Amino acid sequence: MFGSINTSMILAILPEIMLFILAGFVFVFDLVWDDSQRRNLGWISAGGFSLIIMISLMLGTPGSDSGLVWGGMLRHDWLGFAFKMLFLFGATITALFAMDVEDLGKKGEFYLLLIFSTLGMTLMASSSNLIMLYLSIEATSLPLYILAGFFKDDDKSTEAGFKYFLFGAMASAIMLYGFSLLYGFSGTTDLDAIAGVIKAGGMNPVLLVGTLLMILVGFGFKISAVPFHFWAPDVYEGAPTVVAGFLSTASKAAGFTVLIRVLLTSYAPASDTWMMVLAIISTLTMTLGNTLALAQKNIKRLLAYSSIAHAGYILIGVVAISELGITGSIFYIIVYLITNLAAFGIVSVVGRITGSDEISAYDGLSRRSPWLGLAMLVVFLSLAGMPPFGGFIVKVLVLASAVKAKLFWLAFVGILNSIIGLYYYLIVLKHVYLYRSENEQVEIPVTRPYAIGLIVLTIGIILLGVVISPWFNVSTIAAKVLF
Amino acid sequence: MAIEFLPIAILFVLAIALAVFIVFLGSIFGPKRYINTKMMPYESGMTPIGPGTRRMNVRFYLIAVLFILFDIEVIFFLPWAVVFRSLGLFALIEMLVFIGILLVGYVYAWKKGALEWE
Amino acid sequence: MTGMDSLFLIFAVITLISAFLVVTTKNLFHAALWLIMTLFGVAAIYVLLNAFYLAVIQVIVYIGAIAILMIFAIMLTQRVMNPSGRIFNKNWIIAALLGAFMFIGLVIISMQTGASKTTLPQISGQLDTVSELGQALVSPNAYVIPFEVASVLLLAALIGAIFVSRKR
Repeated sequence: MFGSINTSMILAILPEIMLFILAGFVFVFDLVWDDSQRRNLGWISAGGFSLIIMISLMLGTPGSDSGLVWGGMLRHDWLGFAFKMLFLFGATITALFAMDVEDLGKKGEFYLLLIFSTLGMTLMASSSNLIMLYLSIEATSLPLYILAGFFKDDDKSTEAGFKYFLFGAMASAIMLYGFSLLYGFSGTTDLDAIAGVIKAGGMNPVLLVGTLLMILVGFGFKISAVPFHFWAPDVYEGAPTVVAGFLSTASKAAGFTVLIRVLLTSYAPASDTWMMVLAIISTLTMTLGNTLALAQKNIKRLLAYSSIAHAGYILIGVVAISELGITGSIFYIIVYLITNLAAFGIVSVVGRITGSDEISAYDGLSRRSPWLGLAMLVVFLSLAGMPPFGGFIVKVLVLASAVKAKLFWLAFVGILNSIIGLYYYLIVLKHVYLYRSENEQVEIPVTRPYAIGLIVLTIGIILLGVVISPWFNVSTIAAKVLF
Repeated sequence: MAIEFLPIAILFVLAIALAVFIVFLGSIFGPKRYINTKMMPYESGMTPIGPGTRRMNVRFYLIAVLFILFDIEVIFFLPWAVVFRSLGLFALIEMLVFIGILLVGYVYAWKKGALEWE
Repeated sequence: MTGMDSLFLIFAVITLISAFLVVTTKNLFHAALWLIMTLFGVAAIYVLLNAFYLAVIQVIVYIGAIAILMIFAIMLTQRVMNPSGRIFNKNWIIAALLGAFMFIGLVIISMQTGASKTTLPQISGQLDTVSELGQALVSPNAYVIPFEVASVLLLAALIGAIFVSRKR
């Protein structure tokens, strides 16, 4: 029973090992440095994250075999690997954006918790066993609860942290109950073996749907799908803006990886059952997110509802249950992560100077800071799904997959929702470009870390929409793992 | 087999029975005088300071959290210690990593002053 | 009914009654004490299931540490000892119905299908489960990754707890 380890096993968890070493560095420097130097922890974290991406790309790419390692706990495949790189990228940007935030950028705890959360996400992406899956979901969530309530003296932030924690704990408990029932009736915690049991008809259909719904509660909370979306607007509004950005991108992407993996491996034999459930969730998520976003006056709440709506679009690709659909979803997640990170980055920059997150604070932004206005234009048009930006091509992909799967009504709902979305994104841009404000002479300075992050992201959004094939190919390779 | 737990069960039953018995004896034979001093909450013999239901200091909570974390660590140690001789070097390294990670937490708690009372 | 069955029945009744009291007692402090009783009942059931080490964990971690933490947490909050307000809100009927539905459903399904159809891995059933657990925890072919991740999770929890409760 007691096996030995080999190189491929180490390579499979290379990003995780390096993340832990990075945490060690941050930890040591946090203790050694004094307050004036601690801002550099952001450079260390961001540099470390990007170094990990580079080393992993050189050494740790998965092979062509099934990639089951560490006694079936983890799976070293392209689906997991692509998402790992995505999370690490999101963490890099988040570390950069955090550096100049007051009460946060000079705290070692922030960077440590960010690293631990990212570590949990990378494990989520490759988990192939219920035990591993639950542990990694918890390792992701626990630091995020604290990060959401990071401003201890700010009532809104505390409320956000507490709300996120209570909702998260509840969702996690229901999901764990689902896991335990699944284990109890199938007799195994291995995701593939569960698929075998279901295929052999070893599960009562009522139980199958029951466990599925309970697990979807946990996953739905992570991706903020209706009806588990209530926390999102309040938490995004109260949490530090950089943390809200991380929550709405990397954390959501991590939720989607496990959703896709569990549904398409363990529950693959029962795909007819969950397809309808997920289609309804997707429709509700899109529609509710977009309609409620219309009424928002606060930009963080608006982005929260828009992020709910985007979860609905991504689900369309999953509902299609085809290689094209999953490819579209993965590609969508990549675009969405980069776009939304940029959106929250801009909100963070503006919020620092104006001290307000109201949309009216963005009046005349294009005159106060033309470059910031331009970045905002790119980001919001991409969110709205306009060509030539990334948001356009991915929306076409998921809608095409729905049409191909003969889900015409779903595609129709998706198109209708895009139009509603366009309206409120353009309203924000109207504030930025057309409205005037009295303090137009006051410039909005963009510090160096923000500038680097925003430039990378804006170029990324354009590249994603113009040079499509590399991203599409990566998404296809990742999606092929499941079929 | 569960039968090996019989002594523990007997111990529990005896302990509960004894407690009930003693309280019962006290209620029968004890004199019943309700004077003010006697009705005061007991605080090591001295006159109590403040109400007995006041809020506790948040530090107790921190101590309790630290206690749980290291308690769980011990739970993991025991099964490993039972078989550690037969497992060899790799198991030792694994456990050292595990301890090392938690030791980091200990150093953190120490340096940030979480172990100090004031 | 064998001796084991009657023992199980006794402990199950203890567990259920004290669990019921946990949610219905008005005084939070008393609820915590009933929770300890519930946890104890669960530990006894673990023993009956031959999961001895789990029973020990239940006593040491849950009764010994988590229940204490809960009592601390209760004593940290204001207005505990003289509780006011209702403990149930309007939704309790729905919750109760949902719980009953869940329970009946599980009972019916269990009776139909029996336990799992796949055979579970055999364990020796003696007190030796501890050594098997020890082996599985550090074996690269079993649970070594979850084991190490657990320590990372504990570390994150520790840092978070210190950060949250410390004065600036």
